[in-house]
Amino acid sequence: MTQAAFFVLTALADEPRHGYGILREVEDLSDGAVQLRVGTLYGVLDRLTADELIVLDREEVQQGRLRRYYRLTDEGMRALDAEAERMAAGASAAKRRIAEGRKAGGTPPVTGPGLAGGLA
Amino acid sequence: MTTLLEARYRTVLRLLPSYYREAREEEMVEVYLWDVDQETQDQSRPTLGEVASIAALAVRSRLAATGAPRRYALFGSAVRNFALYAVLLQAAVIVSDEVLRVTWSATRGPREWDLFLTGFTGSGPLPTVVAIAGWVLPLLWTVTFFALVHDRRRLARAAVLLAALPSLWPLIEPLVTEWPMSAPYFVTANALFAWLPALAVCAAYHRDAPPAALPPALPGWPSWPAVSSPAAPSRCCPPRSISPGPPPPASSSPPSAGCCCVPAARNRGPAARRRPWRCSAC
Repeated sequence: MTQAAFFVLTALADEPRHGYGILREVEDLSDGAVQLRVGTLYGVLDRLTADELIVLDREEVQQGRLRRYYRLTDEGMRALDAEAERMAAGASAAKRRIAEGRKAGGTPPVTGPGLAGGLA
Repeated sequence: MTTLLEARYRTVLRLLPSYYREAREEEMVEVYLWDVDQETQDQSRPTLGEVASIAALAVRSRLAATGAPRRYALFGSAVRNFALYAVLLQAAVIVSDEVLRVTWSATRGPREWDLFLTGFTGSGPLPTVVAIAGWVLPLLWTVTFFALVHDRRRLARAAVLLAALPSLWPLIEPLVTEWPMSAPYFVTANALFAWLPALAVCAAYHRDAPPAALPPALPGWPSWPAVSSPAAPSRCCPPRSISPGPPPPASSSPPSAGCCCVPAARNRGPAARRRPWRCSAC
């Protein structure tokens, strides 16, 4: 799952949103790190719709303009949950390794003979 | 009332195929204009990044995006097949050319070998770098082919762009050196034959495209699994049971043109090369 798809699914996890709402929510969720362009957003929406991870929730016409709201499907919720678990597992493994590295004094463990000892 | 900015966005959206515009245009315009002040709309323009993202979406949706009409799916499939076979052809040409050149230079005595090495080292740093890049980078056509077959698209895209790069040097060389361009039609055609497949790979093997698929059989050739299996040669000739009677006497003459033994035997070991016109079924 790409970063963009992950954030789009996350943006739709709590309630249905329309295109602009998804863009703003993705920006907020990523602290501004992910700023989707409209072309990219609709590419992601097409892919997620084809994979049946999101569906059209409803359409509204406001001031003569069309707004389409999308929501997660059960499959989409499961996929997002699995991806979040995977990322959390990776993040906790990274934190564990960092803590172990700090305990060891910040130097990586030597696993083989160094040049000084190996060739002497 | 349609503002100038809305008209400009709609113009950009015309890059998209009609089926996509019918489904998405109104919704996309709404997203574009959501937080733009009505009063400032006539002074704004779509940014370059917005145009680029729509152009990329236009390419993807024309080359068999999900839910595309049949003609776009067929077009996408045709471009992907062109890309795959053009890459295979380039890889075959480059590998055979370089193997032949090294073999020739290595087996014709020290003078030929020195001549071969001088081609890399004889004219200063820039020509040396260019010569080495021109020798090594085209080998990436092979990497591209296997990356496509194994559905490693990012690797395929990177490899094909690097592989096609040396074909530009003859066009750039007259601009940065004193050497005039030699055979301009040839070098232009060469660059075209390299960059058309490269662009086709980058455009057609996008994220949503189906993976590259080799056909079950090439015209006049056995199927791909048959080529890779030891029993391949026995499949390429008609079965013996078709013509009743005693088996034909062993002949030292090559088989008829309709038999596929010759190309098949070329791909096998030394024993086959000693008798290239015969396979185990003949």
